[in-house]
Amino acid sequence: MDEKSAPHLEELTRALGNLDAAKLRAEFEKLLAFRVPPEVAKQSLLRKFGGGLQSQKKKLKVKDLAPNLKNFEIVGRILELSEKTLRPVEKASKKSSSTLYTGVLADETGAVPFSSWQKLPVQVGAVLDIKPASTRVWKNRVRLSIKEHSSLSSLPDEVLPSFEELAKSTPKKLKEISALDLLVSGKAAVLKLFRREVFARGQKTFVLSGVLADETARLPFTSWIELPGVDIGCTIRFEAASVRMFRGVPSLEFLGKVRVSLLKEAELEKLAFSFEAVNKEPAPLKMREFETRGGLFDVVTSGNVLSVRPGSGVISRCPKCGRVVQKGNCRLHGKVQGVQDMRIKAILDDGTGTVSVMFNRELSEQIYGKSLEEAEALMYSDISKDAVFEDLRRILTGRVLLIRGNASKTEYGVSFVAEKVWVPEADLAVRAVELLRRLDSLEAAKASRNSLNSKKSEKEAGVKEFA
Amino acid sequence: MLKREVAKRLFAKEFEAARPLEPQLFEAFPSFFGKTSDLSLAAGKRDSKAPNFLISPFGLLINRVFVVGVLTEVDKVGEQNDLWKARVVDPTGAFTVYAGQFQPEASIFFLTVEAPVFVALSGKARVYEPEKGSVFVSIRAEEVNVVDEALRNRWVVDCTALTLERFEAFSEALLSDFSGLKLSEYLQKNGVSPELAAGISLALARDWEGKLGTREGLDAFLSQLGKVIKEGLSSLDLDSDEKAGADFKAFALELLKELGGGKGVEYAKFLEVAVSKGISEELLDEALRSLLSDGLCYEPRIGVIRPVL
Repeated sequence: MDEKSAPHLEELTRALGNLDAAKLRAEFEKLLAFRVPPEVAKQSLLRKFGGGLQSQKKKLKVKDLAPNLKNFEIVGRILELSEKTLRPVEKASKKSSSTLYTGVLADETGAVPFSSWQKLPVQVGAVLDIKPASTRVWKNRVRLSIKEHSSLSSLPDEVLPSFEELAKSTPKKLKEISALDLLVSGKAAVLKLFRREVFARGQKTFVLSGVLADETARLPFTSWIELPGVDIGCTIRFEAASVRMFRGVPSLEFLGKVRVSLLKEAELEKLAFSFEAVNKEPAPLKMREFETRGGLFDVVTSGNVLSVRPGSGVISRCPKCGRVVQKGNCRLHGKVQGVQDMRIKAILDDGTGTVSVMFNRELSEQIYGKSLEEAEALMYSDISKDAVFEDLRRILTGRVLLIRGNASKTEYGVSFVAEKVWVPEADLAVRAVELLRRLDSLEAAKASRNSLNSKKSEKEAGVKEFA
Repeated sequence: MLKREVAKRLFAKEFEAARPLEPQLFEAFPSFFGKTSDLSLAAGKRDSKAPNFLISPFGLLINRVFVVGVLTEVDKVGEQNDLWKARVVDPTGAFTVYAGQFQPEASIFFLTVEAPVFVALSGKARVYEPEKGSVFVSIRAEEVNVVDEALRNRWVVDCTALTLERFEAFSEALLSDFSGLKLSEYLQKNGVSPELAAGISLALARDWEGKLGTREGLDAFLSQLGKVIKEGLSSLDLDSDEKAGADFKAFALELLKELGGGKGVEYAKFLEVAVSKGISEELLDEALRSLLSDGLCYEPRIGVIRPVL
């Protein structure tokens, strides 16, 4: 090490005081050996170990965690901890840590799964301070990762609520369940239930799948355990059910630790909902609801078709994977003989929000009013290859549609997969009467306010005169 | 890719009164919008991709709009005669619509359409200010289509519902003594959506020219607009759904007789003539099906329709 790079190393050691100086020196010298300029080497090490000379480390709560955050500090209580020995890829690999520690960390704002490449200095139940930590996305949800160089320290027990309090799965309405929850409890009616065969770890097993509902929302669920006595129409209480995310929509999973019981008559009467009430079609939502909530399962909304998107109409799909075939080629399987299909992608908008909706063949035929065969005939009868697309635009643009299905929020906005579509009933006359009444009451309220104001000003004028 | 802007619904009279949302306004209230909001992005960056917003006197932030109304006139304007100018009328007034070379689909539509006809139109709000004091607010058309009266009626009702929501929130804002961020928080507490709450606070913080410059002026404008909307809503023929169907049926039967008389007419030709008269294929199809089932016409050969004389 020459004089030029020595001050940089000194600065590094100062900035990253919590790290072993010898280790830091080794890393620094490794970069220098690659002819990385000392200045740049310093910066990259700072970035790697998360010092940041100018940027102070942020302290985050579980609820603030978002995908791909870096270099923050977090304090939480360890609720679960297990270790997994990973087979080294190469036997010659010198990497000593082939054990992955995974678990759940919680604070008063929520719980988050974590994985760590270093052995934790504490046991389950302890409060741990991690700096720096980072997050990534795994199985559709945010996961906290603890790196080999993260510094871990145990904090006094009283800085966070007790283990029992944090581990308690909070009773929630279905609408409130989100990606921030790991374990939840609640009460819900079983709307759908079916047994399905799955392959898990190479073995054939049966799982129960279905749909739960309360007065706030519906959610899909899967049970890996038998649910004796539970059938469609039952209302159940579940405790410590896991939450999974699938396509931005939360779903409940009943695993080993869950407790499920049937509600008794007396309890049923106290509920804010009944099976009969929730088993109806859900009430339409305004589209702005989709903006504020992540994924929504089985909801109804309505809006005008503002635009039929390119790619709508007759398409050709790969017979193996179902992907759209372009110019006779599948993205995965190369040249294939495509299978004809029809779909419509449309933008629906209700003035409060906008969603991009996908209609499958059955629904497309329904709203288009032409079958796939008729559309194909139109396609071949016209020289322009956009005949069907143009026809769709002419028929659909502007129209009002009611749709039912699942909504999920993506970086491009809200996307909606329709499972049902229909046109609104003739309810305009009723709505118009209600709106006229509201217009009148708005005017009436204003009139009374104005007269009050004018009286007040008269009075004030009077007082002035008197004075 | 940027998120698609919501198409706002508002009546022509409120739209006409809308003005550009100045960036200074954003700077005055930096914390109005959430950190992920497109609006704050627009204010912060002001790059060419950031959406432009107009603000209505009642606090609606406008980028894209959706209108269903009567297309009353279409003109060719512009130096190269390559710009279409159209007027779309709603119960309160008219929207001025432009379509130029960068809106080829809308331009083709305006080339072929015959006014008057009900249209549904989406587009971006634009402002043109040739000189100080004269402002022209217009829509640059994106997509246009011919629709029926029932859809126009539905738009008027939907638009009234959303406008009323805004009016109620705005009246509440006028009643309160708050302004700026405080007002926005107060409105949100009363169930107003965050965007509208911020919009109303911005609208009240803005300097409006002319009569709208005072709270009394705004209040009077609100009353006046409320009255016009009420008249418009009351005058709608809300049972026209069925009547329109009957009209089409009569029209279709008349056309059948005219074209083919006793010999009948080929379906394709019939369709072509009807579409050229501005009736959508879908509506015609429906009318024809209904005529067939009523026994007023029949199909002697496949593809040929003959009216019963």
